Amino acid sequence: MKTVIETKNLVKVYNGGVAPVKAVNNVNIKFNEGEFTAIVGPSGSGKTTFLNLIGGLDKPTDGEIFIENVDISKLKERKLFDFRLKNIGFVFQSYNLIPVLTAKENVSFIMLLQKMKSNEMNKRAEELLQAVGLGDKMDVRPSKLSGGQQQRVAVARALASKPKFILADEPTANLDTQSALNLLDIMARLNKEENITLLFSTHDQRVIDRARRVVTLIDGAVSEDVNK
Amino acid sequence: MKKILKISWRNIWRNKIRSSIIIIAIIIGIMGGIFSGAIRLAAEKQQFEEAVDNRTSHIQVHHPKFVANPEARFYIKNGIHIAKEIEAIDGVHSVSERSVVEGMVASANLNAGVRIKGVDALAEALTTNLNSLITEGTYFENEGRLPSIIIGEALANTINVSVGSRIVLTFQDIKGEMISASFVVEGLYKLSSRRFEESTVFIQSKNIYDLIGKEKHVTEIAVVIDDVDNYRLMAEKIRKAFPELDVKHWADMEPSLYYSLEFLNQNLIWMVGIIILGVSFGLFNTILMSVLERVKEFGILMAIGMKRTKVFLMIIFETIMLSFIAGVSGLILSYGMIRHFKVKGINLEGVGAEGLEDFGYATVLYLDLDPQMYFQIGIMVMVFAVLAAVYPAVKAIRLSPVEAVRSE
Repeated sequence: MKTVIETKNLVKVYNGGVAPVKAVNNVNIKFNEGEFTAIVGPSGSGKTTFLNLIGGLDKPTDGEIFIENVDISKLKERKLFDFRLKNIGFVFQSYNLIPVLTAKENVSFIMLLQKMKSNEMNKRAEELLQAVGLGDKMDVRPSKLSGGQQQRVAVARALASKPKFILADEPTANLDTQSALNLLDIMARLNKEENITLLFSTHDQRVIDRARRVVTLIDGAVSEDVNK
Repeated sequence: MKKILKISWRNIWRNKIRSSIIIIAIIIGIMGGIFSGAIRLAAEKQQFEEAVDNRTSHIQVHHPKFVANPEARFYIKNGIHIAKEIEAIDGVHSVSERSVVEGMVASANLNAGVRIKGVDALAEALTTNLNSLITEGTYFENEGRLPSIIIGEALANTINVSVGSRIVLTFQDIKGEMISASFVVEGLYKLSSRRFEESTVFIQSKNIYDLIGKEKHVTEIAVVIDDVDNYRLMAEKIRKAFPELDVKHWADMEPSLYYSLEFLNQNLIWMVGIIILGVSFGLFNTILMSVLERVKEFGILMAIGMKRTKVFLMIIFETIMLSFIAGVSGLILSYGMIRHFKVKGINLEGVGAEGLEDFGYATVLYLDLDPQMYFQIGIMVMVFAVLAAVYPAVKAIRLSPVEAVRSE
């Protein structure tokens, strides 16, 4: 199976407090194409930092991060912006849609940044919103959508750029059970049908139950890696 | 770019109250700036127009000694002939030759020092519009037993006379002898300059020739030119043609007015600019607030791949749009305001304008503003707005995506 993400001796140290804190401690791990992985662990175990590092949002203190053989830890900022745009989809805990854009415009926006043709962009945005069950909410702004609906728009947005993988940082944390289950159904379907690699950081047992691989981080290091 | 513009536009209206307040503040700033500038300009321009149209004309020609010592003996030889030659110069609109002497005016019980101007009624009407300034009585129409005199309203009050009253003028003739003659007040004129009104009287030149003892006695030639902006060039032309005479243009004769106008022309835009600069601090505050409350959003935009330059542009566009709306509205409303006061005028009577008259200012100001000024102010608003947005925009793009995403 093709490896999409590989980290080698990945370390992230924060020097902000009284003593340096190793948020990610020598992590060597591979994620293959089409995997649905949950990164779990207690608060402060380094889940979000780990996702930020492999998402190219943060720079490691040491080690390497390969996304399909490209070491993103060595990329300059401008190239990293482009790399994120083309290769990585993000879903955040607080949805983080652009409030002044409609659902369809939010989804299209990332394709616009990729300079996709207008008709192609509109078609894909509509398809993705249909796929996440929001075909009737395309022209609605985020403030008029429920939390679950906003998160589904965020998933559609993450998929819009046809990324190599999607990073989701506690995506169900703010959702009620029904919305969380709906979202997980959609993501599981997309994972299966489109072979999209998904990495979730989560505390949510519902997510953990759906994941096919569970990686546990304790104090920034991998303490357990289970394929179900 | 279209999408960024769209987002910027919508961002402006996310907080309608805040955006509306800053738009209104800019509009009031522009209107206030334009109003204060225009009122100052109107006061100066009206003073200029009155000085030139009714008092000095554009250019005056005298005997070289007359200016320092205005006596009848320092007259212009062949004055009438020279006046005709000047009138023939290309660019000269009209000429009035005058016989001007210093003297005293006396009523039954009061007197005052005055400058007596002996004028050709028709030529004076063409050069200084004296006929149009008559508020009471007539302008050299009467052919009574006594010669007519036109005096200012202020002088009439000072020496307690009215139309039809007899007054006596006393002055030196060409030989330096004191002579006196009676006149009847035919008309009263009104100017915004009380000083001029109190100190200048007009009689017909034929009357002064008889009294002064010299036919065609000319001490002053007042010249009105076609293009007021050419006053220096025309003065030089006349100076070259008559090097033996003293030739002065209005700026030489009214230096304080000239420097005041020059200062205003060069600094009005800065006066308005200071007001707009003050308003742009409000704009700066608004943009900064809106950036600070959207830190997370900028982080998300950068996280998903929006480049920092585009985030920067988005914020700048927001400011440009905001200031454009405010600027255009402010300029349109200002234009309407100036148009209104151009026709109706602003009457300063009752608000201390009586004091202004003493300094030659009009009490009713008719506002006007060079169209170029609207354009300059518009540009200035935009420039200040962009400058006000730079710091917040730089602050936004300096955010680290990961920190911004983490913030609440």
